[in-house]
Amino acid sequence: MKNETIYGAKIIDSALQIGDYLIISDLHLGYEQALNSDGLMVPRFQYKKIVKRLKQITLRTHASTIVVNGDLKHVFGRITRQEWKEAEDFINFLKDEFRDIILIKGNHDNFTRFIAEKNDLEVEDYSSVENYFIIHGDKIPLSKIKQDTIIIGHEHPSLGLKSGERIEKIKCFLKGRWQSKNIIVMPSFNFISEGSDVLHEKSISPFLDDISEFEVLGVENFEILHFGKIKDIIEFKNR
Amino acid sequence: MIEKQTKASKDEEIYKILHPWVIKWFKDKFDTFTESQRYSIMDIHRGNNVLVSSPTGSGKTLTAFLSIISQLAMLSDMEMLEDKVYCIYISPLKALDNDIEKNLEEPLSQIEKIAGKKLGIRKAVRTGDTTQYMRSKMLKTPPHILITTPETLSILLCAPKFREKINDVKYVIVDEIHSLADNKRGVHLSLTLERLQNLAGRFTRIGLSATVHPLKKVAQYLVGFEDDIPRDCKIVDVNYVKQLDMKVLCPVDDIINSDPEEMNNATYELLDELVQSHKTTLIFTNTRSGTESVVFNLKKRFEDKYNDDNIMAHHSSLSKKLRLEAEKKLKNGDLKVVVSSTSLELGIDIGYIDLVILVSSPKSVSRALQRIGRSGHKLHERSKGRIIVVDRDDLVECSLILKNALEGKIDEINIPQNCLDVLSQQIYGMAIESKHDIDTAYMMIKRSYCYSNLTENDYLSVLSYLAGEYTDLEDRYVYAKIWVDYDTNMFGKRGKLARMLYSTNIGTIPDRSSARVKCAGQVVGHVEEDFMEKLQRGDTFVLGGKIYRFNYARGMTINVTPSSGPPSIPSWFSEQLPLSFDLALEIQRFRAIIEGKFQYGRTKEEIMEFIEEYLYVDHNAVNSIYEYFREQYLFAKIPSNKTLLIEHYKGFGDRKFVVFHTCFGRRVNDALSRAVAFIIAKKYKRDVMISISDNGFYLSSEGKIGGLEAFKELTSENVEDILIKAIDKTETLAGRFRHCAGRSLMILRRYKGNEKSVSRQQIKGKILLKFIKELDNDFSILKEARREVIEDFMDVKNAKRVLKMIQSGQLEIKKIDTRIPSPFAFNLVSQCYLDVLKYEERIEFIRRMHQAIINQINAST
Repeated sequence: MKNETIYGAKIIDSALQIGDYLIISDLHLGYEQALNSDGLMVPRFQYKKIVKRLKQITLRTHASTIVVNGDLKHVFGRITRQEWKEAEDFINFLKDEFRDIILIKGNHDNFTRFIAEKNDLEVEDYSSVENYFIIHGDKIPLSKIKQDTIIIGHEHPSLGLKSGERIEKIKCFLKGRWQSKNIIVMPSFNFISEGSDVLHEKSISPFLDDISEFEVLGVENFEILHFGKIKDIIEFKNR
Repeated sequence: MIEKQTKASKDEEIYKILHPWVIKWFKDKFDTFTESQRYSIMDIHRGNNVLVSSPTGSGKTLTAFLSIISQLAMLSDMEMLEDKVYCIYISPLKALDNDIEKNLEEPLSQIEKIAGKKLGIRKAVRTGDTTQYMRSKMLKTPPHILITTPETLSILLCAPKFREKINDVKYVIVDEIHSLADNKRGVHLSLTLERLQNLAGRFTRIGLSATVHPLKKVAQYLVGFEDDIPRDCKIVDVNYVKQLDMKVLCPVDDIINSDPEEMNNATYELLDELVQSHKTTLIFTNTRSGTESVVFNLKKRFEDKYNDDNIMAHHSSLSKKLRLEAEKKLKNGDLKVVVSSTSLELGIDIGYIDLVILVSSPKSVSRALQRIGRSGHKLHERSKGRIIVVDRDDLVECSLILKNALEGKIDEINIPQNCLDVLSQQIYGMAIESKHDIDTAYMMIKRSYCYSNLTENDYLSVLSYLAGEYTDLEDRYVYAKIWVDYDTNMFGKRGKLARMLYSTNIGTIPDRSSARVKCAGQVVGHVEEDFMEKLQRGDTFVLGGKIYRFNYARGMTINVTPSSGPPSIPSWFSEQLPLSFDLALEIQRFRAIIEGKFQYGRTKEEIMEFIEEYLYVDHNAVNSIYEYFREQYLFAKIPSNKTLLIEHYKGFGDRKFVVFHTCFGRRVNDALSRAVAFIIAKKYKRDVMISISDNGFYLSSEGKIGGLEAFKELTSENVEDILIKAIDKTETLAGRFRHCAGRSLMILRRYKGNEKSVSRQQIKGKILLKFIKELDNDFSILKEARREVIEDFMDVKNAKRVLKMIQSGQLEIKKIDTRIPSPFAFNLVSQCYLDVLKYEERIEFIRRMHQAIINQINAST
């Protein structure tokens, strides 16, 4: 399989690899509990899937550092043992698989700090690898960004494909520009939903305004599909 | 045994069993008994179950209540009236409950006056609207006659204290039973009645129904089974006493050659003329948008005659306040005309109506009779109804409705069976009541008509779901609603919140909401939630007579811009009523007769004379029907109950259409078309477009698709399996699944003090469906969603019947090729497609769509 890259960063399913670093984003562990308290009685089912997929990815990359680009945990309500457990289990899993772990703060990560500290880790506001600036994407940092390429999560981008009555969504990366920089938007690394449809829903990150010129790279079970620019896809659909 | 009551009791016989005070009151008020009273009061007095089907104005309230009131008066006289509920009255509408309470007011107070002492017979309405204060009052002094709804009754069964007040109930009256029996509310009620019987022992069941067929089936539904045999029930059918004055009106001389503008003008002229020559008119349209449009047009076209003071709309999307206002004004006789979709079909008191107009076909004979039955309130007055037709297929349909209505042939009611979502809800309720033995509970459930052939497997799968066995053991405390102990063979409730959860989440009517449609910042209307779900950016659709393009959705608001050209989403798509199967067969039978007449070379006069006599329609209608059929006959062949015509038509740009002239109603055609398309899609790996109507369906593709060959592969044995595969990826299944998950309480509308919005339920329903499909493809709720789609939404049972007709040679397939569509195919082919069906795995689908997008982008650059 030939390597697919966005601005030099390698796409491995819904993760990115830069040299020895592997980046994933928006895991939202414990999302099921949030659904439960919202009246949807779906049991925990995504943890096993996340771990399985991450193992498949590390087999291909052999990266030694993992970067979690925000929203490791969906929400901390009452901090029950059950709720901590998944996040702690996951961090232990990362410790076994990687030499170093970098956690970046997302908008859902109010309490991730406590779990991190307990495991001698820190939660950063952002990080950088080579010429890449990695940040969750819910806020623009006050300090100036020196790197050429910004990598964000937060958006959970996906692409909805419709034919007749059938609609399927696939996770996707977005490739575009922010001010004078390159920007990459990563898909979410969770299995609850594919994400929000970039053709339908308005973007939420302050890094993204008009995304019609952005290119869409769909990912489905390690397969990568180039879809071209959002504006062209919309034109196709409007025909 | 279920049998017709053929003996009408004489006045003296009835008086013999009534208490003297009641006799006195009755004689002061009435000369004699109505037919329905003569046939039923004695049986009710003897404690026999009775199903009464009677027209408006036949003294329904007293039919059901007279002997009960008399019993209560006797008990009071003997000072034996206890503080408990003797009679429960159940109706589908709160408004009807309030009407009945008012209707009981007079006899009770006057009988008391005659008695000359306080009798203390109490009645009370208990619904979701009843205040806490009233509820505690009812607990202290329970009503002897409890007036309620199906849902509230099932909650009362779980109320530890109030339960004791109903544990000796003697009579249960189910009003408007026909409107409950054919849907999941009725399925729910049938189990509630068994739960009640389990608590209170045997009671007398009294069902009140409008015209419905077959009464025997509805009677079985009312009474249920005992030891696998239907419980006894007497059937009283007195519909014959009310005369029917019904006509089909064609607004123009020649419906085939009139343009839409002409047709529209003539329709409103006719409507105005009819309204003006009557005192109060009730107009039914089949859709809410149709209702709005009739009101709007009458006001606009006849400004001097119709205004906000004398014309109003009444449909379920309107606010409660507006509906109540319309009902009140009707009762006071202030309205000249009221226009409704379906909301005024049921028997709430709307005062005096002397004419009912149906604009276009009501799609079934029973619906036509129920609607027209709203006119002429006094028993000996005729029910007067006029059906105004809108196009040629409509004309044929309405004419056959007229024929069958006049001849008393009514379509068969469909009562859903083995609904596992409703079962989940009820088992949860039972568990809250008390601990149950697994086998005893199963026997009890099977006493309901709707579950009489429930398999043990399905029953156990529901128990397993409720016990949370689909989750890891450690998490089960969150998801299990009941505990099941297979060693002791018992189950019971789990969790402290169970009763609260149950009472705030039960019911079978899914939450539906409508989304606001905004164009350039202005709200231009509303669309149904189901409709919104299907919209994709770029889709165009009709709203309020204008065409809009869908841009994006934000919560429950959708943003659109004005557009032009044919809409990509058909406007009839969501709310259109389907043609009943029985009526469709009648149409086919008529077609066969006319085809025969042409074949035998009968003259125009002979044929027209026959049509006039056979269909009871006027000259305009006869002429239009004759011309329409002659054109089809000369052009090709008339499809009928002997010949299934399959028409291969080559359209513009060599697009191929295979038109199946299957006049079996949309529900059957939906099932047949999807199954055939599925076979084709698997074989040829090509897109197949489907469109359906009541009269047939077409499949269309860019290349050869072998529609006929695929259709021949379909049999009554394999159609169900194929159909289940064909619907697997559809939004219809996803939507129904969400409703089923709601009924099974896997999605809770109200939880931890919050009401969950419908739009959020939608997203979550999809997450849940995905999870369930991966977990277990036979999960009870998923199974139920599929059953609901193929049996209730579509009609796989009758689709099988059609396929059997073909297999036995009773229905012969004939193939024709056409260059322009035949007259009977015209309405169908001119309608845009409903769906594109192609069966493929997710990844194949994604790759194909990817390729299509890339090709398009490359082509334009």
